[in-house]
Amino acid sequence: MRRSVTFALAFCTAPLSAQTVPLPDASAQGDVAVTIYNNDQALVQDRRDLSLPSGRSRQEFPDVSARIRPETVTLTGNSLGIVEQNFDYDLLSPAALMQKAVGETITLVRVNPASGAETRERARVLAANGGVVLQIGDRIEVLRDDGLPVRVIFDHVPGGLRPRPTLSVTLEAPRGGRQPVTLTYLTPGLSWSADYVALFDERAGRMDVQGWITLANESGTTYRNASTVLVAGAVRTTSDRSGYYSSPPPPPDIRRAGTETAGRERLGDFYLYPLPERTTIAQKQQKQVSFLDVSGSPAVRVYEFRNGWLATSEQPQSVNSVLRFSTGRQQGLGDALPAGTVRVYQRDSRGSPQFVGESEIGHTPMGSDLGLAIGQAFDVKVQPTVEQRTRVESNGSRWRTAMRYRLTNASPQAVTIDLVQSGLWGDTRITAESQKSERRSADQAVWRVAVPANGEASVTATFDTRF
Amino acid sequence: MRALLASFLLLGASLPARAQPAVTSAAPERVAVTVYRDLNRASARPNLQWLNGYALISETRRVELPAGESELHFEGVAGGILPQSAIVTGFPDGVVERNQDALLLSPGTLLDRSLGQRVSIRRTSKASGQVREEQAVIRSGNDGAVVLQTAAGIEALRCSGLSETPAYDRVPPGLSAKPTLSVRVRSAQPLSATVTLSYLANGFDWQADYVATLSPDEQRLKLTAWLTLANGDETGFANATTQAVAGKLNRRDAQPIRPEARPLSLQCWPADTTSDIPEEQLEPPYPPAPPPPPPPPAPMAERGGEDIVVTGTRVMAERERLGDLQLYRIPIPVTVAARSQKQVALLEQPRVRVTPVYRVRLDADANRDSGAAQLVLTSRNREREGLGLPLPAGGVLVFREGQDRPLLIGEGRIDDLAVGEDVEIRLAEAPGVGWRVELDGGAKGRHALTVTNDRAVPVRLEAELRGDGRITGGARLGRRNGASLWQVTVPANGAATLRYRYREPG
Repeated sequence: MRRSVTFALAFCTAPLSAQTVPLPDASAQGDVAVTIYNNDQALVQDRRDLSLPSGRSRQEFPDVSARIRPETVTLTGNSLGIVEQNFDYDLLSPAALMQKAVGETITLVRVNPASGAETRERARVLAANGGVVLQIGDRIEVLRDDGLPVRVIFDHVPGGLRPRPTLSVTLEAPRGGRQPVTLTYLTPGLSWSADYVALFDERAGRMDVQGWITLANESGTTYRNASTVLVAGAVRTTSDRSGYYSSPPPPPDIRRAGTETAGRERLGDFYLYPLPERTTIAQKQQKQVSFLDVSGSPAVRVYEFRNGWLATSEQPQSVNSVLRFSTGRQQGLGDALPAGTVRVYQRDSRGSPQFVGESEIGHTPMGSDLGLAIGQAFDVKVQPTVEQRTRVESNGSRWRTAMRYRLTNASPQAVTIDLVQSGLWGDTRITAESQKSERRSADQAVWRVAVPANGEASVTATFDTRF
Repeated sequence: MRALLASFLLLGASLPARAQPAVTSAAPERVAVTVYRDLNRASARPNLQWLNGYALISETRRVELPAGESELHFEGVAGGILPQSAIVTGFPDGVVERNQDALLLSPGTLLDRSLGQRVSIRRTSKASGQVREEQAVIRSGNDGAVVLQTAAGIEALRCSGLSETPAYDRVPPGLSAKPTLSVRVRSAQPLSATVTLSYLANGFDWQADYVATLSPDEQRLKLTAWLTLANGDETGFANATTQAVAGKLNRRDAQPIRPEARPLSLQCWPADTTSDIPEEQLEPPYPPAPPPPPPPPAPMAERGGEDIVVTGTRVMAERERLGDLQLYRIPIPVTVAARSQKQVALLEQPRVRVTPVYRVRLDADANRDSGAAQLVLTSRNREREGLGLPLPAGGVLVFREGQDRPLLIGEGRIDDLAVGEDVEIRLAEAPGVGWRVELDGGAKGRHALTVTNDRAVPVRLEAELRGDGRITGGARLGRRNGASLWQVTVPANGAATLRYRYREPG
């Protein structure tokens, strides 16, 4: 009974009703639309209905991102004029409360430690520097100087102190009444990437691919029932303090960039991936929504080995195992792929999918040929050896380098290895070779070497170089 | 469960039109674990306190779902789960979305999430022990400050010197003890389904450990190997189909959102006094703020708590090819307990033919140099040599049968070896088999390489002479790995000398 009385009191006292702190369950957010870019940047648009008095008024916008970039805030409404915008982070804390109470009168409740008896008195706060100096009647005292318990009760929360950083805007409204306003701002802390699950059937030369959009919210705020669009691409921002802009490194996995247009929503250069329905993006939450599901797309495994210039290895090196497929409409996944991680699975003898490696891809246009290095083959190896290196006397400062590559295959299937010798800058010539090479670029020569099942092959080549 | 009920209440409150019942799947019915090695560990053994390999965990769960939309929480998944790798199958109508919440229930988040909520403030009189409870609303939360609104006015928590503490009615929605994976699913009618959940989890590792015993004639090895699995996760997997994968997989470094569990540390207004009377200590005082939780994979709490299980050798792992990799399966379901290490037999090859060789490597143009030879056990991974099966990388302990007890003669290591490859187990340097190279006088570039043997048996020795120039010698020199090779049998308690000439290139 006694409790219910206090309870009733708590709800009747004036200071309480003056506060407008919303319950956490009930968000002050209105109709929220979130657009998330890849580079830790998101655009939040929040349409709220506000009751505005006519003329000038100060409006608060709680439940904006805790990491809001206040300089990017724009507020639009029916012929509203903005007088000023403030982002307050004078937070309500005991220290701030006491500092704001300097000059005001507070209530002290002294508790007798022996009897528990309470004595009330009013006191004026003279200063709160290091300790709290009080005037009680005509005496000056330091709060809790004697170490005895004293409850300090303030009459109200001073204005301007907030539990969380809050955006406030001073508006000039020509008409009063309820009207919609739209708040738009940029915030870091929201990010997304794609995650792909590829189930590779090596015998059939096919794979099934599912794509998931993974978005993560570390912006400090929950966005309720938000309409969400993800933009594949990083728009340039200058928020980086160093002024340094690093473009994503060219994805090495694209073997041939595609030229087809995917059937996705586009905005200029960027593909848009709208989530199919509204969703709540909670703080500290990672959320995944499916966006791609393709089955039976052709895929093959190839082997590649790249040897650096003058590299000899004492032990045979495993070759890269590369999964090749297309994102084209014909014979491919038929979609543009946003940047992310491709995880590849294969079924074991019991039919359970097992993880066999992963690779990262950049934004990949539709129609591209991809080659993802997912691991190194256990059974397929190459051992490169510099056999001989001699200076060619007749030709001034030129060198002749004899290389031998031993390719071994312990698997029960015959394989073909793309053997690359790189580092052939300048006017390097191949003067002799055991099989014909293809000069892929000035830097690289490639031999396509067939290695029989449980067998080996070797390639020899002689290079004529300036170095 | 209370948190789940609460989250149901929350969603019910904020989205009345789309109430989603929360359903919990407490534990898997069947589970399969495939463990992958940490490739960056190189030759170090897995550190049980900090395992950087990973595992693929596939769980089969039975769930009962109501008609309409519901939120299904998977409990008992590995703590090191990588939520972006999760695959959930078995729902006829698919999954609307998957979520992983990293906000954990802790004193700090409890207070933070209670902002604007009613709580009870309990004050206990130290004199009489009398307890008084009062309703209050939390006006500010977290960041080390709690301002309360009570019937009397505005107060700060625990600045009065009284014994006071807030008590909450319920756990705020969205806070759970562990990061929890959940899916939002829809179904036209009530559904009883068997679903599979697969995901990658950090904090596992495995390693092949070879134990070899060299026969007294130094011609044969008895080779056995253990498959050592380690689980550094706080979740154990009972009766799991357990596998290990050998081979080198590409893996990107990926970390899920770090769980947030803020400690509670309260601050007050400035509290300097003119006296040195200590403030009365309250009972119970708040404990010191715990350190923030470590990122998954969590290190193991104490070494003493490890559980190392060695199963009998009759159970031997079965091998199969998996694409480019080798998959080893433990043929019986075993329990991969939390924070434990388990060993099963990986292979047993009782008669492996080996040749002990002492190896010397030197620069052919050295004017004066000397050293000890390295003992290497060489063989070939073929059936003729008593091998002929893929050998995953691992450490090799080599013992030698002695008179009455075996002796450890060295600890080597092999990389992943495919069938047909040369096997080399490099053991310690042998101080009794030494080499010395000197200029031989006379013509320019003449050297003498002398090798000595203090053993009572002849030994095989291979010297690799490296250099870009031409090496011509008195003995016949072979080639290996781009170097000139001198193969010689050094007589018992004797020496052998190679005289060679080194000409600079060009």
